[in-house]
Order: sequence, then structure tokens, then C-alpha cells
Amino acid sequence: MRRLLLTLRTAASSPVRNARSATVLGRLLGLAFLVCLLTGLYSHFLQEPASWMRFPTSPVWLYQVTQGVHITAGIAAIPLLLGKLHAVFPQLFQTPPVRHPVQVLERASIALFVATSVLQLVTGLLNTYQWYPWPFPFKQVHFALSFVIIGSLAVHIAVKLPLIQRYWRARDSYDADGRFVEPSGELDPARAEHQAVRELALLRRDEPQPRGLVGRVTRWIDDAREPEREPARSRVTRRGFFGAVGVSTVGVVALTAGQSFTPLQPLNAFGPRQRGLGPNDLPINRTAAAAKVLETAMDPDWTLTIAHGERSMALSADDLEAMTQGDERLPISCVEGWSQTAHWRGVRLVELMALVGAPADRSLRVTSLEEKGGYRVMLMGPEYATDPATLVALEVNGSRLDIEHGYPARIIAPGRPGVLQTKWLSLIEVI
Amino acid sequence: MTRSSAVPAVPASTGRGVRAVRAVLLVVGVALIGVGGWVLTDTVSPTRYGGLLVWLIGAVLAHDAVIAPVVAGVALLVGRTGRRVRPAVIAIVQVGVVVGVVLTLIVVPEIVAKARGPKNDTVLPFDYGARLGVAWLVVAVLTALAVAGWVVLARRREARRSA
Repeated sequence: MRRLLLTLRTAASSPVRNARSATVLGRLLGLAFLVCLLTGLYSHFLQEPASWMRFPTSPVWLYQVTQGVHITAGIAAIPLLLGKLHAVFPQLFQTPPVRHPVQVLERASIALFVATSVLQLVTGLLNTYQWYPWPFPFKQVHFALSFVIIGSLAVHIAVKLPLIQRYWRARDSYDADGRFVEPSGELDPARAEHQAVRELALLRRDEPQPRGLVGRVTRWIDDAREPEREPARSRVTRRGFFGAVGVSTVGVVALTAGQSFTPLQPLNAFGPRQRGLGPNDLPINRTAAAAKVLETAMDPDWTLTIAHGERSMALSADDLEAMTQGDERLPISCVEGWSQTAHWRGVRLVELMALVGAPADRSLRVTSLEEKGGYRVMLMGPEYATDPATLVALEVNGSRLDIEHGYPARIIAPGRPGVLQTKWLSLIEVI
Repeated sequence: MTRSSAVPAVPASTGRGVRAVRAVLLVVGVALIGVGGWVLTDTVSPTRYGGLLVWLIGAVLAHDAVIAPVVAGVALLVGRTGRRVRPAVIAIVQVGVVVGVVLTLIVVPEIVAKARGPKNDTVLPFDYGARLGVAWLVVAVLTALAVAGWVVLARRREARRSA
């Protein structure tokens, strides 16, 4: 077993698999995960705010950008994580597997980090494809794992900090010939142990060398590794590795982020959404059929009820159309990352609230015609309710709302996730 | 083994500052893992833990037992057989292959999800399989151009040196 681990570790060694590579990729990956955590927390609290929380309504594209960055950083983290795991792969085969009780905890924290981060990226990506093949709820697990990932990452950085510091700069990492300067035994005990065991094995010439298949494989591997020991060659290998990780990361971002960012729109080859596609030139998520509103939304007797305590009034579509119309350019920004700015026209919410004498500091409860669904009832904080840009929209992109976009009337507010831009309005209550 | 006792369990601190930062990171890290665990037990039904555990272990196995050994094996094969080829050419081709493979990893689930039938026509609107084919073609052409360009430059450099 010891020999197997030794052979595997030696076989897996390569000029790109050193502490400097791990430091470089670890920095980028850590940054990507941190960005994902912060933008993810912002999105989470927008959707499930504590009662005291208030959010900025300006700039109107704030959520569009934070959520676009969340998804894009997550996609960029896929090649970065693969590269990082590639750089540290030999660490998997330590001999002996555990030398010290503290090391059990260290290896456990890495196992936890690898498991949670791989799963997080896989489920996050598949969520943007709206495919959920796993036996647990996506949203809750995605939220819980985000803390575990950052926590196990912090533990991992704590353990490796002296090594990270040692290899932070390229000029401290390679000698004049471009050879990697190995760390001292104090800094990288696992590596020192591996070297010691290997040297011991070489010294004991009397110990029988592996024969048969194992021996042949070992020699074959040694042979394959031989040319990489030249410094010039290992420098090329390293550049190839970083080139591969870098181009892959830039490539996957460039070919998918057009669903969220205008400059990359022409390159959107693999994004799960395409801007401008759909009724009213706008993509949709929940359809009228899925929401079971095909009849209620088309009912000619439809009214929007506005209630403030005892005072309440019912407005028909004609009543709303007869009121002063406001125009706003606001984005629809989905939590799945895609977004699109559209031209909305409708009654300003503040004017409707004035009709029932609602005070400025109150929240609203907005109810859709939907029969059921997690977003049938939406709560709106006063920062959105009193923002003049918030509309009860009747038109989008120059024509009457399509039923898929919430006909007869929907909410559109600045800087909120798409699921909270309630469609097929039925009731607005001041609470 | 006597050496083991002399070698520390984990990288040794190099100063008081490092020690302090490590302590803070460790405490924050353990606390965050605790928060994650608490959120999980608070929001996810215990009946789902088994499935989650299977997927977590599966994620590690998919990488450590499938992806990584295949990559290591291919790297060894290339190291053995690619001796007659210039190292830089191998490196350029490797960049192309990795880009193609990473794109494939991201797009294949998209093809599957599309085949299963999206909720509406604006979800997954493209023919992702065909686009992936085109992407591989583009990567192949760009890689070939990069190799050709590199070889031309290298020959010129050698000619100048010998002249």
C-alpha cells in the first residue's frame, strides 16, 4: 500500500504541480468564491429580507450586475477549480496517509472543501439550465453550502498560510534557470516526508525493486517523466498549463456571459438564455399556462384592487390606461443570471398609493392572479413602494403586455430579482 | 519512522503575525462551517441528508477517481510518445484540448437539459450540440494556426542563429 501511494505520488508529480501553481490558482479561485458569496448573499436577502432591511433602488441595474457577476464568476470558477485540483493532485497520495492527529482535521477540511465546491458549481450551473436531477432542494442547499465552502476555505488557507506567503511572488518561487525552488521541510511537511521515504527506498538497494507488471509500469512512468526535469522544458509545460486554464476561463465566460452583459451579447453561444427572444422581445420564466391564469387574466371584468385599511378601490384596465402614464427603462434580472433592459410604460405606483392615502413609510403586499406558487404573494419594502420609477406596467417595448409577461398589469421596480416583479396583478395592500 | 516526529503536522508558522492571522482564519472558518451546518438543519428536511451525502461523496469520486486519473494518464502518454514533437507544440495543442474539454463539460448538461424539454421556448433556445461541434472546429483551427505560427517563428529564429 505504501509503495502504491509512493508510486502514485511520484507518477502524478509534474512541473505544474507545485506550491506556486497552487498559490496562483488558489488566489483566483478564492476571489471567485468570495465574489459568489457576497453577490449570493445580496440576492438571498433581497428575496428573504429581515424586516429591518432596506435596499438601494438606484442604480436600477444594481441587481442585474450583481447577479450577472454571481453566475459568471461561478462559471469562471469551473476551469479554475479543475486547474487548482490538478495542481495539488499528488497531495492525495500521502505516505503515510496520516502522520499526526492535526493532519486528520486538515485532510478532512480539504475533503469537505472539494466535495462542497464541486457540488456547488455543478448544481449552480445546472440550475441555470433549470435541470434538477438531485434528491435535495436546490435553493436551501446552495445557500447552506456557500458558508461551508468559505469556512473550509478559510481553514485551508489558515493551514497553508506559510506556504502561500512563501510562494506569493513568482521571483521567490523559481531560480534563474526557471527551476522551482522547493520549500523547506518545515514549510511543506508532506513533501518532505515523501522525499525522505523515497530517498530511503533508493538507499536500500538491497530492498527488492518492484518486478513484473508493477515494476514495468513504474519504470515506464519514470521514463515518461524524464524530459520534464530539464528547466527549459518544465517552463514550457508550466506555460502550457496556465495558458490552458486561462484561455478556458476566458473562453467559458466570453461564450456564456452575453446573457447578462451587453458587450458580450454577440458572443453568446452557450448561454441558456438569449436576449430579445420571446414575446415582447423579452425572455420569460413562468408562463401564464404554468401559473394557471389563462382565463382569469383575460377576463374582461378584471380589476386591480388597492387597499389601505378600510379604504379600497378597484381599477379596471381602462381606468389604469386613463391615468397618467410613466415611462421607465428598467431591467428584468433573473436570479439565474440572465437579464434584459426593457422600456416599460404604466401607472407610477406612488400615484396609485396616493389614491388610497397610503403613508410613505409603509410596505406593500402584492398578490397575483396565480392560484399557487412560491411567488404568488410578494412583499415590497417602502424603498421600492415610494420610488417614482416603480410602475404598475401595462406596456413593454411599445406594445401592450403579452399575457406571458403579466397582462393585464404587472409590477416593475428598480433593482429587484425578476421573481419579485409580480405578474398578473390582482391585489395591492398597504400593510 | 523517527523522522516523522521531527516534521510538523502542518506547515510551520514563520512569525507572530502569521500565527495570529492563522488563528483568526481558523476560528472564522470553523464558525462559518457551523453556520452552514445550522442553516442546513434549519431549512432542509433530514430525509434529504442521505441523498445530499451521496452527491457530496460522488462529487469527490467523480474528480479524484475519474477526471484526475484520466488527465494524469493522458499527460503520461503524451510525455512518453511526444518526445519527437517540440514541447511548445505539445503545450499549444494541450491548451486547445483543455479549452474544448472544459466547454464540453459545461455544454453537455445543457444538451441533456434541452433534450428533457425546457419549461418554455425562451429557456435553452439554441441547438447546443451543433454549437459545441462548431466550437471544437474553431478551437482546432485556432490551435493549428497557433502551432503553424510558432513553428515558422522558431525556424526563423534558428536560421538567424545559425547564420
